[in-house]
Amino acid sequence: MRTSSLAKVAVIGVAGVMALSACSNDSGGNNSSNNNLTQQPAGSGSNANSNKTYKIGWQGPLSGDNQQLGINEYNGTKLAVEQANAKGDLGFKIVLVESDDVGTADKAPAAAAKLLQDPAILGVVGPAFSGPTSATGKTYAAANMGLISGSATNATLTSSGFTTFHRVVPTDGTEGTQAAEWLAKKFKKVFVVDDTSTYGKGVADVVRKTLASKGTNVISQGVAANTQDYGAIAQRVTQSGADALFYGGYDAQAALFAKALAATGYKGLKMTGNGGKSSVFTSGAGAAGNGWYFSCGCQDATTAPEAKDFAAAYEKMFNTPPSTYSPECFDAANGMIEALKAAVQKTNGNPTRKDVADAINALDYKGITTQVKFAPNGEVANATVNLYQQKDGKIVMLGKIQDQS
Amino acid sequence: MNRSSSETLNRLLLCLAGALVLALMWGPQEGNFGNYWFAIKESLFGPRVLVFLALGVLAFLAMTFWPRVVPFLTRPGVWPMVAGALTVVASQTLMHWADQVGDAKFGTVASAAANTNGLAPLASAFFGGLCWAMLVIVVLLLAAGIVSGLRNFGWAAAVLSVVSAVIAYVSHSAVVDFVGGVDHSLGVYVCIVGYLVLLTAGLVVAMSHAQVANTRRAVNQALGWRPGLPLVLIGAVLGAISLATSTWFSPANRNATLADTRNLFRGTGLAPIAVQYLAWLGWTIFAISLVLSGVASYRRIRPLGWAGAALGAIGVLLTVLTLYRISSIGADLHVDSADGPWQNLGAGGWMTCAALFLIGAGGYVAATAPRHSERTVEVDSDAVASGRSASGAFLTAPGAVRSGLMVAIAVALFYPPTANGFWQSVLVSEIGIYVLLAVGLNVVVGWAGLLDLGFIAFYAIGSYTTAYLVGSLPVKPPSWLEMSPLLAIPFAVVICLLAGLALGAPTLRLRGDYLAIVTLGFGEIIRIVAVNADGVTNGSQGPQSQVPHPVINLGPVKITWGLNQLQYWYLLLVFVLVVVLAFRRLENSRIGRSWAAIREDEVAAQATGINTFRVKLLAFAIGASTSGVAGVFFASQIGFFTPDNFLLNNSILVVAYVVFGGMGSLPGAIAGAALLTWLPEFLKDQVPAADRQMWIGAVVLLMMIFRPGGLIPARRRAVELSGFDQRQRLEPVAVPAGEGL
Amino acid sequence: MNYLILGITRGSMYALIALGYTLVYGVLQLINFAHSEVFMSGAFGSYAIVHLLVGDGKATPSWAVPFILIAGILSGAITAAVIAWLLERVAYRPLRRRGAPKLAFLISAIGASFFLSQLAGKLFGRLTSNSFPEFFDQNAVIFRPFGAEVRVLQIVIVASAVLMMIFLDRLVSVTKLGRSIRAISEDAPTAALMGIDIDKTISRTFIIGGLLGGAAGFLFGLNFSFGNTMGFIPGVKAFAAAVLGGIGNIRGAMIGGLLLGIVENLVPLVNIDTKWTDVVAFVVLVLVLMFRPTGILGERLGRAA
Repeated sequence: MRTSSLAKVAVIGVAGVMALSACSNDSGGNNSSNNNLTQQPAGSGSNANSNKTYKIGWQGPLSGDNQQLGINEYNGTKLAVEQANAKGDLGFKIVLVESDDVGTADKAPAAAAKLLQDPAILGVVGPAFSGPTSATGKTYAAANMGLISGSATNATLTSSGFTTFHRVVPTDGTEGTQAAEWLAKKFKKVFVVDDTSTYGKGVADVVRKTLASKGTNVISQGVAANTQDYGAIAQRVTQSGADALFYGGYDAQAALFAKALAATGYKGLKMTGNGGKSSVFTSGAGAAGNGWYFSCGCQDATTAPEAKDFAAAYEKMFNTPPSTYSPECFDAANGMIEALKAAVQKTNGNPTRKDVADAINALDYKGITTQVKFAPNGEVANATVNLYQQKDGKIVMLGKIQDQS
Repeated sequence: MNRSSSETLNRLLLCLAGALVLALMWGPQEGNFGNYWFAIKESLFGPRVLVFLALGVLAFLAMTFWPRVVPFLTRPGVWPMVAGALTVVASQTLMHWADQVGDAKFGTVASAAANTNGLAPLASAFFGGLCWAMLVIVVLLLAAGIVSGLRNFGWAAAVLSVVSAVIAYVSHSAVVDFVGGVDHSLGVYVCIVGYLVLLTAGLVVAMSHAQVANTRRAVNQALGWRPGLPLVLIGAVLGAISLATSTWFSPANRNATLADTRNLFRGTGLAPIAVQYLAWLGWTIFAISLVLSGVASYRRIRPLGWAGAALGAIGVLLTVLTLYRISSIGADLHVDSADGPWQNLGAGGWMTCAALFLIGAGGYVAATAPRHSERTVEVDSDAVASGRSASGAFLTAPGAVRSGLMVAIAVALFYPPTANGFWQSVLVSEIGIYVLLAVGLNVVVGWAGLLDLGFIAFYAIGSYTTAYLVGSLPVKPPSWLEMSPLLAIPFAVVICLLAGLALGAPTLRLRGDYLAIVTLGFGEIIRIVAVNADGVTNGSQGPQSQVPHPVINLGPVKITWGLNQLQYWYLLLVFVLVVVLAFRRLENSRIGRSWAAIREDEVAAQATGINTFRVKLLAFAIGASTSGVAGVFFASQIGFFTPDNFLLNNSILVVAYVVFGGMGSLPGAIAGAALLTWLPEFLKDQVPAADRQMWIGAVVLLMMIFRPGGLIPARRRAVELSGFDQRQRLEPVAVPAGEGL
Repeated sequence: MNYLILGITRGSMYALIALGYTLVYGVLQLINFAHSEVFMSGAFGSYAIVHLLVGDGKATPSWAVPFILIAGILSGAITAAVIAWLLERVAYRPLRRRGAPKLAFLISAIGASFFLSQLAGKLFGRLTSNSFPEFFDQNAVIFRPFGAEVRVLQIVIVASAVLMMIFLDRLVSVTKLGRSIRAISEDAPTAALMGIDIDKTISRTFIIGGLLGGAAGFLFGLNFSFGNTMGFIPGVKAFAAAVLGGIGNIRGAMIGGLLLGIVENLVPLVNIDTKWTDVVAFVVLVLVLMFRPTGILGERLGRAA
């Protein structure tokens, strides 16, 4: 009894070994018998497919509290990639790989690692937020992975040794300083509210500092970004008798704030930054948003024909109008595609990450929000901050903010 | 009759509703506000909904005819058959098979392989459909064997599953060799595990019913009768694969096996011991330790077991040494732009380490297991008879817990180096840190029974303490206090301890839900202060400068941590190990028993003379300081953080990890945290990123519905639960008995 | 004074949500963590109906406004009640059957909460600030007591909240269902022995909580905005309000809600930066609990009503 089952177990083992030896002959032929370590094999057959496909990554929040901003950006990037693929004049295909970092520093390393570990990914659009950028900039730099962010505006990012980091938007500092200078020209008492987020607080702090240095009377308050009820703060603003209000924060909250301000009948000038300038604000605030000013380091995305095409294509693809940072990311992605194209041409179809990163440094491409051209530190080369205003439910450009009275 | 038919109808409706919900959840459709019903239309009004409804009907049928199915399920071999088949299916649908091909999932790899000429014919066949055919045949053979009771079907299935596993492995390596590059995919290994389970099923079917009353009994026997043998067997398979065929060194897209590596390094000045290892020593140690441990566990000879364990340990050290040598030389030659040791290594070396470790562990388990006569046979048969708690019967087999632990340690030690960068990063910054947090919270929630919804605050305090001590905050420490991050640990522990006392002292008089809301408030207050106190914490921008990576500098020993995640993983492993060992002692100490008493009935505990306030405070402080250690680690590993990392949501999640894993059980808390932090990362490949939280919510919900005690319930709770289960049939329980939540 | 009115408005919404927590706590001694999602579903449900009725709201005749408001409240309440009922069925009843530990309920509710809010996001978009069509001038000032301005919307919110609370108070103290609820919260096993169907009563308690939460969802969405994650913050606040008033106590929840709303809105008045609002709210909560460890109005549903 016992011996017979033992024998059968042995049969199983023998079957396995035989299968193993039978099969290993098949695969053995493929192993080149290179015996010398220093001798590198030529070429890197990187894909079983013969079609040339390159990948670019995207990193930003697709879940968590800032999910909607991330989705805006991802959609803008995706649109750029799909358009480039559909045009068909690239000579290769681009695959977009998204990586969700939840918008917080702690999830960012894994998100970056996901993109870094795929050798076919040659450049990254993003990271979307400043926190994740700070947490991963070094790792990306060590891997020579070129980055173009559409929205990470913290001023320190370009001075932290993140050598491959670029952004198509001016820093909080640039935008805030110029906005504050404009406000200081006209008003003596300005109410500055921020949403306590990295972006909102950053830009509002610059505005406060600049206003104070110009001798303007500043009243400052903060309202957490997750607040839905802006009644109390609106009341406070109205009662303070300030001539003007600057809000540092994002569009959805700005819209709520605008409604609350309209309800309390605030008469002064209302203004916010790039984060608030979007269709979410216009549709959310409705009539209450009319008269709001926006400072934005971007070109007018409504007059230029490409920009109009962009908005139409975006709406067609995602059933919703483009929102905060969608056009910026569209530009960042197009810049990345241009760089990839240049790198592919230069290297006869075998670009490395370093080639792409170099090509990004050499970019000069006309986007819909800005001229995509970078200074050596990765800032956009000639950032002009423009002034916009919402009139009759539409945001129109008034011109360069420094020229405005 | 009427009642039962209405119940059936209810069940049908429930299943169909569940199917519709699944239809809403599955797929890339995303709703939007301009078109309010778009996503619902998309998911429910199309042919795809029929698939989901069919699934619902299947579930309904399964539930309705469950009583008739059950007799078949107790037949030997059914469970391993189902588990094995599902494992194989999962590996061939969800998992990665070759990192360099597309999104690396099986489907992509298969279609790429089908379109490629020059691939080994067997691999082409495997990816071209043989994989599924083999699985179906094995399962059919097993099913035939189970239904008919003919043993030869079992033998056939067993043979075929071994062959299938081999074919899968060979096809996979053919593809990887063809594509080139270092491969980190796990799909094929999971597939092999699945086939090994199917092999077990085949063997169980093949053995007579007299030999095995059912599968559980068989497995119990394997674990109990010869402790350590399963470990030795796993080690043997793993070792044979890794020494014979796995990649040891992979410069520039070449996958060199052990033998190839020896050839590669000929004449490069490799240290003699490593040369010998590559030539014959590795195999020899493997073979000898295998024999020693195998015989020791089979014949239950203790001295041999110790010898096997010792040889296994030596083998692991030698293997690691060899890996270090070859990768250093590789780095000196700048192979594939390597600039330091431990690069360009394949999975083979680490797998050999794991194999030798497991063989050694098998010897150790065999050497330390209680003698056969010491074992109580009644426990086994009892557990098997009661059925429900039979899963616990594995645990009663001598050496089983220890074996499980050894496998876990082997995985923790030797899996990470073979993982790709993404998983290494996940292991450190998600799984490892949250395991540490969950272990800490387990003291508060699981043992003392205090619901703390602000736990993440202590984590924040730990992180900010570190940032302060390294001088990254606007407030600078006095220069004599500035220090490297690891030295901050004692300070962080003390400060978190104090914070825990400060929070606990006034609030611990509150009970249950009042305590929950106060701790929640405390967590939020800490976060808001971090956001708004610009002068101290630099507000929402996070610390001004990067927190430096840890350094250990003790004269001759100097370890610096850089960007490599693996280093952090081993550091974290040390932390977790220390904390777990300390807590294990704590659990069974006087204090641990006081906690249990308070959790069960605070008034009674007080009556027995326990100073409940002080003991509760202690739990709070201990939990807080563990969290502080995690905070120090987090701050110095990531270098940069913002108050956004300490949201209320994270506090809630940690509580969820603890309860999901099994309240009050250390392995449970570890498993719960590991599983629930792994899951969202795994889902990144399976569902749209934005939907991940939805799936996690669903998993947590289902887990609590079907296994309210958690993954690995604490023993005491398991008893409580099954106790309730029986009573419930007598009277409806409206309110669970007070637990001093 | 204006702040006070804002506070009362916000507080009455908190109170409506807090009632949901308190009712469930009364019968089950459990925090229903998924109640915030019940509240959220109310807003989504009512949006479907209101949008259907008024389109973009520009051409709504003024006589129709009250009816639309009632339709909005009802549809919100009913949707939320359905969700609450399902929630009890799926996330609570099976656990009760198994006699699960208390924390298991909490976690299953958290799971359900994640699931519902993200499912809503998947189905209706993840925009956090959707708004209802403006079908009447919400900001028209009705009267000015002591120089404060009272607006239409505020009156609507406070009035409907008060009506519902009176209705609930009567329901719990007078009807048979109310008596069963109180009986269960006093002593469930005895109540069962007295012939009260525990399952049914618990189900209905969830439904009542859902009705109130859904109505609050509509009012909240109308006043501010709504989205799939809208429930979390008001949920936490309402939970705090319920505890503040003494959880399990219906009148306590009303008082707690109002108090919390007022405290939050008085923050700017005493010249504290509004970024500290939440800190102030939680500090008040902690202080109250320090001196009255079971909240303002003590503990049990049965004792107070």
